[in-house]
Amino acid sequence: MSARYLLRKTATLALTLYLTVSANFLLFHVLPGSPVQLLARSGHYTAGARAQLVKLFGLNHPLVTQYVIYLNNMIHGNLGFSYVYRVPVTTVMGSAIGNTVLLVGTATLLTIVIGVWFGVVSATRANSMPDASITVISLGLWSMPDFFTGMILIFIAGVWTHVLPVSGIETPGLVADTWGRVLDVARHLVLPALTLVLVNAAEFSLITRNSMVDALTEDYVLTARAKGLSRRAIVWHHALRNALLPITTATALYVGMILGGAIQVETVFSWPGMGLLIYSSVEQRDYPALEGCFLLFAMAVILTNFVSDIVYQMLDARVRRN
Amino acid sequence: MRDREMGPQQPILSRRRFLSLTAASAGAVGIAALGTPSQAEASASATLRVGWNSPPDVMNPFTFTSTASNEILWLIYDTLMTYDLELKPVPSLAASEDVNADGTVFTYHLRPEATWHDGKPVTAADVKFTYDMTAYHNLGQAAWAVAEYDSSRVINDHTVEIKYKSPQAFDPALAIAIVPQHIWGSMSLTKIEGYANPHPIGSGPFTFNTWVSGQYVQVDRYAKWWGPRPAADSIIWIQYDNSDVMVQALTSGQVDILTEVPPILFDGLTRDSGVKTVEMESFSFHHIGFNVSSNPKSGGNPLLKDVEVRRALQYSLNREQLVALCLAGRGSPGSVLLPPSFGAWQEKIPLDQQFNANPEMAKSILDAAGYKMGPNGVRQDKQGRPLSFRLIAIETTDVDVEAGQVFVKAANAIGVKLTFNTLDATTLSNTVYNAAAPNWDIFIWGWDSNVPDPDYLMGIDLTDQIANNNDVYYSNPTYDRLWVEQSTTINAAKRQEIVHEMQKMYYDGAAYCIMWYQSKLQAYNTSTWTGWTPTRGGMIYNFTRYNYLRVTPL
Repeated sequence: MSARYLLRKTATLALTLYLTVSANFLLFHVLPGSPVQLLARSGHYTAGARAQLVKLFGLNHPLVTQYVIYLNNMIHGNLGFSYVYRVPVTTVMGSAIGNTVLLVGTATLLTIVIGVWFGVVSATRANSMPDASITVISLGLWSMPDFFTGMILIFIAGVWTHVLPVSGIETPGLVADTWGRVLDVARHLVLPALTLVLVNAAEFSLITRNSMVDALTEDYVLTARAKGLSRRAIVWHHALRNALLPITTATALYVGMILGGAIQVETVFSWPGMGLLIYSSVEQRDYPALEGCFLLFAMAVILTNFVSDIVYQMLDARVRRN
Repeated sequence: MRDREMGPQQPILSRRRFLSLTAASAGAVGIAALGTPSQAEASASATLRVGWNSPPDVMNPFTFTSTASNEILWLIYDTLMTYDLELKPVPSLAASEDVNADGTVFTYHLRPEATWHDGKPVTAADVKFTYDMTAYHNLGQAAWAVAEYDSSRVINDHTVEIKYKSPQAFDPALAIAIVPQHIWGSMSLTKIEGYANPHPIGSGPFTFNTWVSGQYVQVDRYAKWWGPRPAADSIIWIQYDNSDVMVQALTSGQVDILTEVPPILFDGLTRDSGVKTVEMESFSFHHIGFNVSSNPKSGGNPLLKDVEVRRALQYSLNREQLVALCLAGRGSPGSVLLPPSFGAWQEKIPLDQQFNANPEMAKSILDAAGYKMGPNGVRQDKQGRPLSFRLIAIETTDVDVEAGQVFVKAANAIGVKLTFNTLDATTLSNTVYNAAAPNWDIFIWGWDSNVPDPDYLMGIDLTDQIANNNDVYYSNPTYDRLWVEQSTTINAAKRQEIVHEMQKMYYDGAAYCIMWYQSKLQAYNTSTWTGWTPTRGGMIYNFTRYNYLRVTPL
C-alpha cells in the first residue's frame, strides 16, 4: 500500500466529510419548523420573550451567516448549544455516546463471535439437519424487528419472572461501591444487548455460512486435506480466513450504522443513548443537538468504511496488487 | 466436509476440555451473580419514586418550558403563595400577604426562618430581584403573570411591597419561583438565558441531588426547610420511554406513582389489586379550531368566516360520542372555554341550546344560509364554491386522529367535505401559527391551563395574542375589553359574571368547537406510600405540591 494511495484515500475522506457536514446543516435548516415556535407554544411565552430566544439562538441571522458560524465553531470543537437543554451539545452527546458505545460495543463483539461461530458450524455441516435448523432459526430471528424481540424478552425476564431489570442503565438512587455499580449496569445491559445479539448474530451467521460454503469448495481446501491437516485447522485457519472478506464488509457497515444508536432497542429499554437523543431532538427541533449527532453518525460510517477499505487491502493480496 | 476425522484419542481432561469447562463454570457464576437481585433494588423505605415519560429540559426557573422541569423546580424553589389541595391560594414563602383595597399593591411578610439551600437567609431583596428580572426582561413562563408590573420596594429584610399598574384579580405570586439574588444577581441577561443551572439553590423543601440525563432526577429533603417536615427522605423521578414498561414498574413496586397513565392502560390497571387508579378532573380540553383570520394574506377558506357554517359543523358532532369513542369514556363532553374543574366559573349552557348532536339542525342552518346541496353530496354557496375544507391534526396524538375521523364522517352527513391530514407536532404548530399568512382551514388540538385561574384560558384568543397564543386569529374588541375588565376585577362575584359573559360570547362565535375535557389519569401503588389525596388537576404533576409533602411511607 503506497503512501500516495493512502493520501488519496484520506483526501477523499476529508471531502466526503465536508460535503456530509454541509448537507447536514442545510437539511435541518430548510425543514419547516422553528424551534422557538415550538418552545413558545408549550412554554406560554410572551412575544418579547420569544424575540429574545430568536436572538439567543442566532436564528435572526441569514442562513449563510449561520452556516459560516457553524463551520467555524466546529473547527474549534464547539458543536453549538442545545436549544432544549441549554448546555453545549458536546455535553448532551457525551453521556449518550458512552451509553451507546457500551451497549453497541458489547452487542457487536458478541454478535460477531456468536454469528461467525454459528455460520461456520452451519457451513461445515452444510445441507444437514443442524445446518437447516440454524439457517431457519437465523432467518426467523433476523426477520423479527428489534423492538418485538425486545418486548418478548421484557415479558419473559421482567414480567413473568423478575430476574433482570427491564429499563434504564442503572437502578435510580443506588448507593453502592464501584463494583456494585458495575454489576448494576451489567445487569441492566443484559436484555438490550441480548436483543441486539439475537437479531444481528443471525444475520452474521447467514453471511458467514454462505461465504464459508463457497470457500470450502475451493481447491486449496482439498490440498490441505491431502496434506493431512486436522479438520479444525482447515476450517478455522484456512477457509475462514478467506471467507472473511464479506464478513469484514458486513462488520464495517454494521458498526458504522449502529453507532447512530440502536434506536428501537434504546426506546424499548429506555436506554439513554444516541438513538434516543436523536429521536427527541428531532421532535423538539433541537437543531444543534441534531447536527452534532448526525455529524458523529456520518463520521462513524465514513471512518469505518475507510478502515474497512484499508483492512481489505491488508487481507486480500489480490486487491492490493490492483 | 461431512466425513469425520479420525484423530488421536482424547485424554480425559485435555487442554481443550479444561478450557471449555472453565468457561462454562465462569459463565454460570456470572449468570448467577447477575441474576441475584442487588441489595439496592429494595429501596430505602422513605424514597418516593415517581414514574413518567417526559423528561425535564433545564433546571433554570427563568427558562424552563417542560412540565417535568416545573414539577421538580417547584419543590426546590418556593413561591410566595401556593395552592393547597383544594387549589386555594395559601401563604408559602410569605407568611402572610396584605393587599390594598383596589388590588394594585401586594405586601408580603416573609418568614424570618427561611433559608437558601446554601445556608444564607431569604430576604426581601431576593423577592424584588426575582420580580424585576421576570417582568423587566420578559423571562420565561411567569412573564405573562406580571405584564402589569410596576415596581417593588424593599421595606425591610422580611417585608416587600409589590406595585402593579392595574388591579390584579390573579395574584402573580402564585406563579413566580423566588430565586437567590446572591447567585443570579451577578449574571448578565444573556448568561441567564443560556444558563443550565446545574446545581439549583432554592429555599424549598427539597434540595437538588442529581440529574442523570435521560434516566432520573433525584432531590433530597432539606433539613432546614421552614415548613412541616415531609416524610420522604428523597424523591426520584424515573424516566420511561415505554409506557408498557412504566406501568409494569408500578405494579411490581419499582415506582410508587405515575404522573400520567395512558387511557388504554388505565382500565387494565384498575383491575390490579395492588394499584389504585385515580381519575380526576383536569384543567384541559381538546378542540377543533376554525381559521377565522381577517388577514388578507390568510390562505384559510373564506367560507369558514361564516359563523353559520361553523355552528353547523359543531351541530354535526356528538360530544358524548366523541368522549366514548376517543377517550374510552375518560372525560366529559366539551362546550365552553373553561372546563368543569373551574367549578362556578364555568358557564353552563343548557343542553338544548348547545351546538351539539343535531345533524338535522345543522342541515337546516346550512339550507337557510343558502348552501344548497351540490354535486357529489357537497354543499355549495351561491357562487358555486363548495363547502370543502382541509382538516389537520397531530399524528402522534391518537385521540385527535380518532376524533378527526369521526368529524370527517359527521361533516359528510351534513354535506360538508373534509380532507383529513395528519402532521407532526412541530409542523402543525408552525402551520397554524404562521401569523403572516396562515394557510390552513381547520385543526384539532388542545390547551392546558397554566394556572387554575380563568385569566389564562380566557386570554388565549385576544386580539393582541395574534402572533402569540391565538391559534384561530379570533378578534373581537368586546371580548378583549371584557378580558381586561375581568382580570382587574377584584370582587369575585362581579368577576365571575364577566367571565360567564365572555364564555357565552366566545361560544356563540363558534371559533372553537371544544370536543371534550379529558380526565387526568394517575395511579399509585397501595403498598408503598399512603396519603395520596385526589385533587382537581392531578395529585401530582399539576398545580399543588402538597401530595409530595403529605404522603407517608407504609
